[in-house]
Amino acid sequence: MSRLKGLLSALSSLGLAAALLLHATPASAEAKCEPDKVATKYPTLAGKTLKIGQDGESPPYSFRDPKDFKNLLGLDADLARETFGCAGIKIEFVTGGWSGLLPAVIAGQTDMMWDTLYYTPKRAEQVDFVTYLTAATGALVAKGNPKAITSLDDVCGKRATAGLGTVEEATFRDLSKKCEKDGKKEISLVTYPDMPGGTRLIASDRADVMTTDLNMVNSFIKSNPTTFDRGFMIISDYKIAVGYTKGNKDLGQAVLDGLTVLKESGKMKEIFEKYNVDYTLALPNEILTK
Amino acid sequence: MPQAIAAFLVFTASIAPALAADDPPLSPWREFLSYIVEPFLLEGALLALQISVLAMIGGITLGLGLGLMRLSRHAAISGSAWLYIWFVRGTPQLLQLVFLYDALPPLGIKLDTFTTAVLGFALNEAAFSAEIIRGGIMSVNRNQSLAATSLGMGPFLTLRRIILPQAMRAILPGMSNDVIGMIKGTSVASVIFVNELTFRSQQIVGQNFKFFTVFAAAGVIYLIMTSAVAACQALLERQFNIEIDREAGRGSGFKLFNLPLRGSGPKSAAPGALAPVPVAKDNAEAAASLDWIRNIANPTSAELGIEPMPFVVFRNVHKAYGSREVLRGIDLAVNKGEVVVIMGPSGSGKSTLLRLVNHLESLDWGEITVEGKYVGYQRRHNVMKPTRDLAKARADAQIGMVFQHFNLFEHLSAIENVMEAPVQVYGEKPETARSLALKLLASVGLSQHANKLPHRLSGGQQQRVAIARALAISPRLMLFDEPTSALDPELVGEVLGVMRRLAEAGMTMIVVTHEVRFAQEVADRVVFMDEGLVVEQGTPAEVLGTPKHERTQRFLRMVEREADPA
Repeated sequence: MSRLKGLLSALSSLGLAAALLLHATPASAEAKCEPDKVATKYPTLAGKTLKIGQDGESPPYSFRDPKDFKNLLGLDADLARETFGCAGIKIEFVTGGWSGLLPAVIAGQTDMMWDTLYYTPKRAEQVDFVTYLTAATGALVAKGNPKAITSLDDVCGKRATAGLGTVEEATFRDLSKKCEKDGKKEISLVTYPDMPGGTRLIASDRADVMTTDLNMVNSFIKSNPTTFDRGFMIISDYKIAVGYTKGNKDLGQAVLDGLTVLKESGKMKEIFEKYNVDYTLALPNEILTK
Repeated sequence: MPQAIAAFLVFTASIAPALAADDPPLSPWREFLSYIVEPFLLEGALLALQISVLAMIGGITLGLGLGLMRLSRHAAISGSAWLYIWFVRGTPQLLQLVFLYDALPPLGIKLDTFTTAVLGFALNEAAFSAEIIRGGIMSVNRNQSLAATSLGMGPFLTLRRIILPQAMRAILPGMSNDVIGMIKGTSVASVIFVNELTFRSQQIVGQNFKFFTVFAAAGVIYLIMTSAVAACQALLERQFNIEIDREAGRGSGFKLFNLPLRGSGPKSAAPGALAPVPVAKDNAEAAASLDWIRNIANPTSAELGIEPMPFVVFRNVHKAYGSREVLRGIDLAVNKGEVVVIMGPSGSGKSTLLRLVNHLESLDWGEITVEGKYVGYQRRHNVMKPTRDLAKARADAQIGMVFQHFNLFEHLSAIENVMEAPVQVYGEKPETARSLALKLLASVGLSQHANKLPHRLSGGQQQRVAIARALAISPRLMLFDEPTSALDPELVGEVLGVMRRLAEAGMTMIVVTHEVRFAQEVADRVVFMDEGLVVEQGTPAEVLGTPKHERTQRFLRMVEREADPA
């Protein structure tokens, strides 16, 4: 998100970005749930209530429980709850616009952002990461795929939409140039400010294809089977990760340990399946600090 | 408004089924209704309301300060207010909020979400309301503050009692806009974790895609909140609308803003009875209270008449506006009990001279004493320095002033106009001031009109109220600045009548007027001014009957021609 980039660079210029800390942390050898041992395993977190930033509007990662809007559901919400339940640390979800979540971690207003955040080396200058999921892109099209869009190449000459400032927007812009070079028609691109806004462009036939996170696309189709279909999907090399306060070793370790336990116990698979996320997309968990 | 909501509901009901056709088992209509009363959304609405109310209170308070700073004559003060407004108004609210929330913690200031939102919106609102308030203040005629100043009211008292209540009419519509805008605009604060109505409805839509019913319900909740604001605006506008007759009006007033309970105080004639009371009756009534005027005019002296003691002394008075010299060395003395009429063509400096006496304007050179004392000056190293508390100096001097355009406080009834200075400046009890005001209004023949607002009175009646108002501070000197120039010819007589009685009662008076007959009959001395100098002076018979100076002759011929009914 371009807005976010501006904020990030503004904040880093304020001297927020401390010198990079290199700390290679091997996955805990004896990973198990020991909520009683929080004081010895993660001494700096004992007795604290951690604030986790989520946006609550991006299924299947973070969204409101339709039975009780006060609750948050989703892959990210459930993983976070299980992880910290395992570590014996209290958490509190704070919901806000997605673009405000990372600046809040950097500023110390929250402890982490656990909400479909892509790891990038640039972001790692200001927060540390624990990876858990491979990013994949899905193409949302109208029911029956009337324009027969089954690969990126089919998008030439069509009306496409992507979130403002996203990786997908940049992809379409580059692709449009390639289309022209190949003698095809260019892409007519519109950007949307929020995800539901993008899906409405498809539903109302104002755009032919919308690309965003694969699991969100799947989730949209599942809840509106008569309106949407998937045109195609691409597995990218982006890593989705938890972003947390730079240098907070105990926190990184707690997340890493928790995710490892969930994986070993089969709980993680269970959560993935609950939200229709392909478990083969799960990544090896590692801490990335640069 | 109810019709609008009903129409909206019908519209919604007719369209919603078509849009939500994918989900036949649920009635979209009931779904929509259930979202309107959904606690999750209502909590968001309440949050938006809480933030808006608190931010509005902070913003208006700060905005008032900024607005006044913008009106300051000191460049440093008005400039810094301008800079604040320029910056805050010119940068996006979203970035301001993110800055407060995310950029201050490294500096050791960590504000929570709610505080940040209230502070952020208040700081932003301050910039906007400063301009609205400034506009409101500028919309009030300057003659209002001039009149207040002449009564010894200080700048803040004038602002609170006179300017703001009148500015409210211009301020309210803009302010309501801001309140409504803010209630809706709190949604930008979702980036700092404010979970208000729009963000909450987006979250629900993100999960269930029922965007039409959810957003329609959110829209209705917003409409209910903003309708409440609009209703408050209508009520307040009614409150501050001086064109609604107060005697016929209803509802309670705002004590803070000097609008007493409507319908309180002695009732006068039935509402709508606007026929002027015959002047003859006025005069009869007035004659009865002549003794009492005499008491004000000359409390110490049992015997009437001019005392040969100089009461007001002008020495070498100079005044220029920029490069234009208005007064070029005036020397003049007015004795106690004397009535001096100043005449001269327009631009000759007569009005300026009057305004220097009670220090409504400052001297450039020379000095003026009233009963041997300076009004709001100290002499230091032969230079006249204005004293710190000018308002108090003016109040202490007790100089009454009557203006060409009456300058009555438009939002106050006749009796409240008269009571204002005694209560607010001289600290008299309201009951005492009220009975004094009633006596004064009776003495100018207006007891029938005590509870009328100025715009309900004729020009002559307004000017008589203005005289009563000036007399209420027990003046030792009365200044009249062309008191009949703005009046229709048939109304001039009633004002001159009151002035004549005042003169007969022994009041010391300096009168700037073109009324030759008044000068002939009432003045002890006539002073003729031209181009900032006293050209000649003497008894009315001398100056008006056998003027020596050519300029005086020319002026008198012109005035007579104008007065000629042909």
